[in-house]
Amino acid sequence: MLGSDGKPDIQAALAALKVSFAQKIPEKIHEIRQSWDTLKIATDDAATFTLLHRQSHILAGTAGTYGFDEVGRLAKDIEIMLQDELTEHQNTWTALAIESLEALLRQLETFDQDVVLNQTKAMPEGKTEVELLPQPTSPKQSKLIYIVDDEDDFLKIMSLQIETFGYEVVSFSSLLKFSEAVAEQEPALVIMDVEFGQGEKEGIQYINLINAKREIALQTIFLTSSTDVLTRLEAVRAGGLGYFTKPVLIEKLVDTIDHFTHQVPEEPYKIVIVDDSPVQSAFAALTLQQAGMETREVNEPLELLNQLIDFPPDLILTDLYMPECSGLELSKIIRQMDAYVSVPIVFLSSEHDQKKQMGAMSLGGDDFLSKPVQPWYLVSAVTSRVKRGRKTRGLAETDGLTGLLNHTKSKERLELELSRAKREKLPLSFAMLDIDFFKHVNDNYGHPAGDRVLKSLANMFKQRLRQYDTIGRYGGEEFAVILPNTDAATAKMLMDHLRVSFSKISHYSVEGDFSCNFSCGIASFPEFKSGSVMNDEADKALYVAKESGRNRVVVAP
Amino acid sequence: MVALERILYAEDEPDIQQVASLALELVGGYNLKTCNSGLEALAEIEAYAPQLLLFDVMMPDMDGPTALEKIRELEAFKDTPVIFMTAKVQPNEVQGYLDMGAVDVIAKPFDPMTLAAQIQEIWEKVQA
Repeated sequence: MLGSDGKPDIQAALAALKVSFAQKIPEKIHEIRQSWDTLKIATDDAATFTLLHRQSHILAGTAGTYGFDEVGRLAKDIEIMLQDELTEHQNTWTALAIESLEALLRQLETFDQDVVLNQTKAMPEGKTEVELLPQPTSPKQSKLIYIVDDEDDFLKIMSLQIETFGYEVVSFSSLLKFSEAVAEQEPALVIMDVEFGQGEKEGIQYINLINAKREIALQTIFLTSSTDVLTRLEAVRAGGLGYFTKPVLIEKLVDTIDHFTHQVPEEPYKIVIVDDSPVQSAFAALTLQQAGMETREVNEPLELLNQLIDFPPDLILTDLYMPECSGLELSKIIRQMDAYVSVPIVFLSSEHDQKKQMGAMSLGGDDFLSKPVQPWYLVSAVTSRVKRGRKTRGLAETDGLTGLLNHTKSKERLELELSRAKREKLPLSFAMLDIDFFKHVNDNYGHPAGDRVLKSLANMFKQRLRQYDTIGRYGGEEFAVILPNTDAATAKMLMDHLRVSFSKISHYSVEGDFSCNFSCGIASFPEFKSGSVMNDEADKALYVAKESGRNRVVVAP
Repeated sequence: MVALERILYAEDEPDIQQVASLALELVGGYNLKTCNSGLEALAEIEAYAPQLLLFDVMMPDMDGPTALEKIRELEAFKDTPVIFMTAKVQPNEVQGYLDMGAVDVIAKPFDPMTLAAQIQEIWEKVQA
């Protein structure tokens, strides 16, 4: 069996074996039952005893290996009981012993065809437990939103606004049409007006009615003009994920939609594996890749530093004992470098000695996994550390309001992407943009409104740009965008597109709704060769855009 | 260090044999010769010339420990490392297998995704 990359797809092969084994389990249990029924009546039948012992022994070993742990455990218990009976009780078989074994076997027999096959079905073909863990690389893809309201104007405005964030929006002013649409195509999320139609809270009742016929409730956000607590309670009971009172703050609504449809994709975890044994590192790499992570294997420990430059990892997994340079020495070196001071380091080793583990920790290792480590454990140990690491790093490297990279980090990223572009001989564009008349927004509509404008720009960019593009908040109302593999002309087209979309967003404030636009300057590689020059040239182009009337994109000559 | 390439594997239970073969051939990338009993392993060993032997303990015809004893009598294979696979891994049981001359013991049930890594580790330990 070959995977998409041409390598043998081990997980798929294993899953296939597992399914075929699962189908044999009921028969194996039945054989054990037959032997036991014979032995029960003639407890001194040595041949049957040996047979039963062997049958349970084999099932214990095989079921466990194929991941049917419960079956394996029960079979093992039966085997142990038989063993005890022979060695401790000289095969006397008291009534209690017979009853105990009978009870174990009955429990084992609950794993009939259906149960076992269900266990297999729970694992989609070609998948194993490892793959069932949340995969950071594949967020929910559907962007379809249904919105139900009986005010046509409101529907039009809302649809338009949500669409600028990259969603496909279908609006309904009729419940019947809405329910037909749900039956036809499942939306990612429903936005429902509570006061729809004549009846009070008819929107909630209607969602209840639809959900009663469904296995999984529709993801629903309710909109209402009432602030009544009872209505809110009813909305929660109807499975409402969010509850907004009109007038609706579009950025907040989109934030909520993003949250529940996982629109803002998370970058795959990047893990560097250091092990002088290629077999060992390949094993760890394979396991982590199956869980959706990106890996880089380093078999020469001293090569690590070179590898870190173009593969900045979320975590370093290193063997403890290596001939050239031990894992401990390696971690000391890593910790001395500012750029990697916060990267979690996890040691992987067959070392069971507690004292040595403590030593490893004090030298800057974050954790210690003993080999052989179970794949699921490796994945979960790495996942939890990366999550935590990203969070702490995020606090230090990102802007609190928008969640974008801060100034320093954006500049670092530009250097990194530039060196990659040079190596791969691909173009790279750097855009700087500034919201026009932002001071005016703050002065006239208040700072909360200004913050919402910044946030909505950040959200829209995250939605619309590619996963490997970088967006940073340079400061104030200034933003930077790094577009790998994009030449100046394409970058201009893209930024122009975003500029028009952004200007269509209507921002709410107590002083009334308003809209904003931005000016943008672009500098690209290979036209400009260094990060600092690109930065300066983009800044100059931005200045030209401002001077020539704002709300436009200018490419550095 | 000599790289481990050829493993002779004896196991009578087809379900285990299948999953272990997958683990060793696909995950580990080893060359594997599979036998159904110790007796068969003895018959194959000269022709295959394995670098490492992986034996189930409980097998009909000839069990793992007996096969180990017979193999130690062959001049060409008297030093070939033998690993036992067994569900009996209480410390005293493991010691018993080591006393028989096994280099290590792998517990059943084993994890198919890590079996190769375990074997590799034992191989490296033996070579060192």
